[in-house]
Amino acid sequence: MNVDASPLTKSARYRNSADRTAVSCQLPTEGKSDNVLLARLRQGDEGAFAELVTHHHSALIRMAMGHVANREVAEEVVQETWMAVITGLDRFEGRSSLRTWIFGILIHKAKDRGVREKRHVTFSSFEGASDEVGDPSRFHQSGKWVGHWALPPQPWDDQTPEKILASQQAVNAINRAIESLPGTLKNVLILRDVEGVEAKEACEILKITETNLYVRLHRARERVRQAVEVYLAGQQPAL
Amino acid sequence: MAQEERDQVVAEITCHEVAQWASAYLEEHVGDERKRQIAVHLAMCAGCETYVKQIATVRDMIRQLSQVEDVPSNMGRLRQAFVDRLNRP
Repeated sequence: MNVDASPLTKSARYRNSADRTAVSCQLPTEGKSDNVLLARLRQGDEGAFAELVTHHHSALIRMAMGHVANREVAEEVVQETWMAVITGLDRFEGRSSLRTWIFGILIHKAKDRGVREKRHVTFSSFEGASDEVGDPSRFHQSGKWVGHWALPPQPWDDQTPEKILASQQAVNAINRAIESLPGTLKNVLILRDVEGVEAKEACEILKITETNLYVRLHRARERVRQAVEVYLAGQQPAL
Repeated sequence: MAQEERDQVVAEITCHEVAQWASAYLEEHVGDERKRQIAVHLAMCAGCETYVKQIATVRDMIRQLSQVEDVPSNMGRLRQAFVDRLNRP
């Protein structure tokens, strides 16, 4: 029998279905429009500045919260970031994209603030303990089927992203899972899955390798997946 | 396919490994040989097929959730700082 045809068809189906549901995330700082936006900003175009802030503010706050104690401090860090952007606009040489530059400033400031608050100790010990993807007890630990599912995930049946997100409880569970991610995982998830930043640019912002990026991205997604799994299990009628 | 042959194909890469590679696979950041191993495994293993689908669903949900735009509470102050920048000596 042909063992190649069916799996390739299947994997293509995943990508196609993902493409259909993914929401396009065209930001004003991407590609050629970067130069246009930069020119408008340098000319003092307030509308361009407001557009830039509105597009990135939410992601910057979430990223800052991965490094500092609370929302209030995160707001301060983001405020400092925007002030640094304003004062640095004329010095920005365009070697990276405007977005890479802005997120780079934010990460530097948020980490610095986090270190001053001594939160880095908590985070590094937390991350060291979470090298496994998911719960290792879900896989056989020995025997012929070592490394294979002992407790495979239960299908989410006809649960599309839209159906799950129609529930406020599910949205809350997902947001809580994202908020509780350690900083290094949250940074990657926000850049790739929230902001839609390409892998290469995300690596440039975070100063990590692409392999490391995917390891972190997957750990972050797995934690969100677990939160959704718990939420959906709670929706099952009792047997 | 005979059960033995099926077992061999599935065992080429473990479910745990497929789970760890799930995001890199979805984003096409895996080498050709690894991609083939995962694709063949997924065709045979319902647990891994479910897992990879769930990771894709999670990725798509996070993207949809992110469409909320937020404005800083001190936007007025930032705008003023932006305007003042041009008036600096």
